[in-house]
Amino acid sequence: MPTRRLILKTGLATIAMPAVLRAQGLSGQITLQSYSGIFQDNYTKAVIEPFIAANPGVKVNFVPGGTSAQMVGTIRAQKADPQIDVSIMDVTTSSIGNLEGLFEKLTPAEFPVLDELLPEARKAGGEFGPAVTFDHLVLVYDAALTPPLAKLADLWRPDLKGQIALSAPPNIQGLALTAMVEKMEGGDYRKSIDAAMKKLRELAPSVNTFEPNPDGYSLILNGVVKVATGWNARSQLYGDQSNGKIRTLLPPEGSVFQINTINLSAGSKNRAAAAAFVRHALSQPAQKAFTERMFYAPTNAKAQIDAKAVARTAAAPESRSTMIPLDWNDILKVRDQWNNRWRREVIAAAR
Amino acid sequence: MSATRRLRLLLVPAGLFVLAIYAWPTLLLLRNAFNEVGPTGALVAAWSLKTAADTFADGFTFELTWNSIWLSLVATAIALALAYPLSLFLFRTTSRWRGVLAVIAILPMLISGVVRVFGWLAILGDRGLVNGLLQWLGLISAPLKLVFNWTGVTIGLAESIMPYMILALLAGFGQLDRTLEEASRSLGASPFRTFLRVTLPLSLPAIVLAAGLGFVLSMSAYITPKLLGGGRVFVLATEIFEQATTNTNWPAAAVLALYTLVLLLVLLAFSNLLARRLRR
Repeated sequence: MPTRRLILKTGLATIAMPAVLRAQGLSGQITLQSYSGIFQDNYTKAVIEPFIAANPGVKVNFVPGGTSAQMVGTIRAQKADPQIDVSIMDVTTSSIGNLEGLFEKLTPAEFPVLDELLPEARKAGGEFGPAVTFDHLVLVYDAALTPPLAKLADLWRPDLKGQIALSAPPNIQGLALTAMVEKMEGGDYRKSIDAAMKKLRELAPSVNTFEPNPDGYSLILNGVVKVATGWNARSQLYGDQSNGKIRTLLPPEGSVFQINTINLSAGSKNRAAAAAFVRHALSQPAQKAFTERMFYAPTNAKAQIDAKAVARTAAAPESRSTMIPLDWNDILKVRDQWNNRWRREVIAAAR
Repeated sequence: MSATRRLRLLLVPAGLFVLAIYAWPTLLLLRNAFNEVGPTGALVAAWSLKTAADTFADGFTFELTWNSIWLSLVATAIALALAYPLSLFLFRTTSRWRGVLAVIAILPMLISGVVRVFGWLAILGDRGLVNGLLQWLGLISAPLKLVFNWTGVTIGLAESIMPYMILALLAGFGQLDRTLEEASRSLGASPFRTFLRVTLPLSLPAIVLAAGLGFVLSMSAYITPKLLGGGRVFVLATEIFEQATTNTNWPAAAVLALYTLVLLLVLLAFSNLLARRLRR
């Protein structure tokens, strides 16, 4: 029969248990949702495995989430019972999650690493999850193309007719390209995209597909097209993996940053481990390891990155100087309008 | 318990299953259709008709409707033209290979839609089988544009619905009475005239059944227009997916999904009515 002393001891032990466990280190499992394919492979090697080595009690499940919009959709559907603890996704969709209360606000008191981040990385997420990688839109082309691609305006070359793969809006590559073409034509996307629409309409007959599947890099490698729009990090890596069969061009006319933020789900079932993972992902070693492995530009200003790797990222000084200051929150407000104009003015001209 | 009641009990398992996987999600879809999205895409819980009003005020919705109906009609017509003689042959043949031939005819159903579409890309692409052959024969100097447009989608869709239509035709050929055809021939009608005046009218209910099925499958097809359309082919199914998974606009996706559902129900009812009249 339990004595009063035994009940008291059991009660005290129960109350003290979380503190005891914390002292012993993190445990349990967390689920990270992000992009599949080469992102998953490289992120696992560069960031997740070192985290597990430092926290052997924690298991990290990587769930490939499809596109960023699909990821936020998954978290939205799980709002009452979150199964995802941490998500890495594009800022245009994480901002939707922030507004819907799907993600937690992060404070420097709990996440001191926030103070090491670049100001634009903090600004990207506001009070919520900050930027964890920077990337930018590039032109990817077949290394055998002669003459090689030198500028954005080369897309209108007659020899490229039928050899171009563009991702049209609402894909963010199409939105970024619109701003880039508008700037190339001397305009400003914040005022109008009329000049971009006119120029893109001229390009439409040269476009093989407005929806490259599985992606533009694969279409070039398989000989379907010679030029595609793409993201710098992936095209650098595909270039290496294909022994230089595809090349990457940062258009001298300017490009646009793409930002991935890291987000802590509200109501995470293993919040302590999830928060620890967020701290780790933003830390100098993790940022260095991932940048040097996959050429995403770091968001931690103190990360000491190998100069050769930096030169291949959006963080290179020559890359930064050509970037068009684009606020993705502004773009979200005009996305539908741009999308409709592409359908009616650009894609219609390609039928 | 009466025999009829006992018979109705057989419907219970399937009824419960349909309720769980179809009726409940449809109700959720209906609820979602009343929600709204904010200016930056955030979902706003509401009981409002704004999303529906915006969707139907947009002329693009009707362009999508027309595109879907036209594509489905053309794909169904092509599939029917190919499936009908094949099914008639399978129905009539006494060959011991009949079973094997029937399996071959419906074999595409056993292969994933995505794999089939990538197969079409290999066949119809600029450097694919068809263009390669035509160029080798000297019939064309530059590749024909057979994919990433309406042509590719129509061909791919017709192929994907054909096996279902073959099955529907075979099931519907029950009314084809060989003795009537023999009577027509014995009265001096040519084989062609017998086909036109006897075989074809008798198989009309099967044709309507198969065409209805093919049309519905085409209207709801997503993979083929998405992968073979090259971003140039806009139909209701691709737009629903786009709204849900790229724009995160679930209310707009829900409105379009319910609209498509109603459209299909009306078309199915019409098809059933027609089939019933033809059977009389």
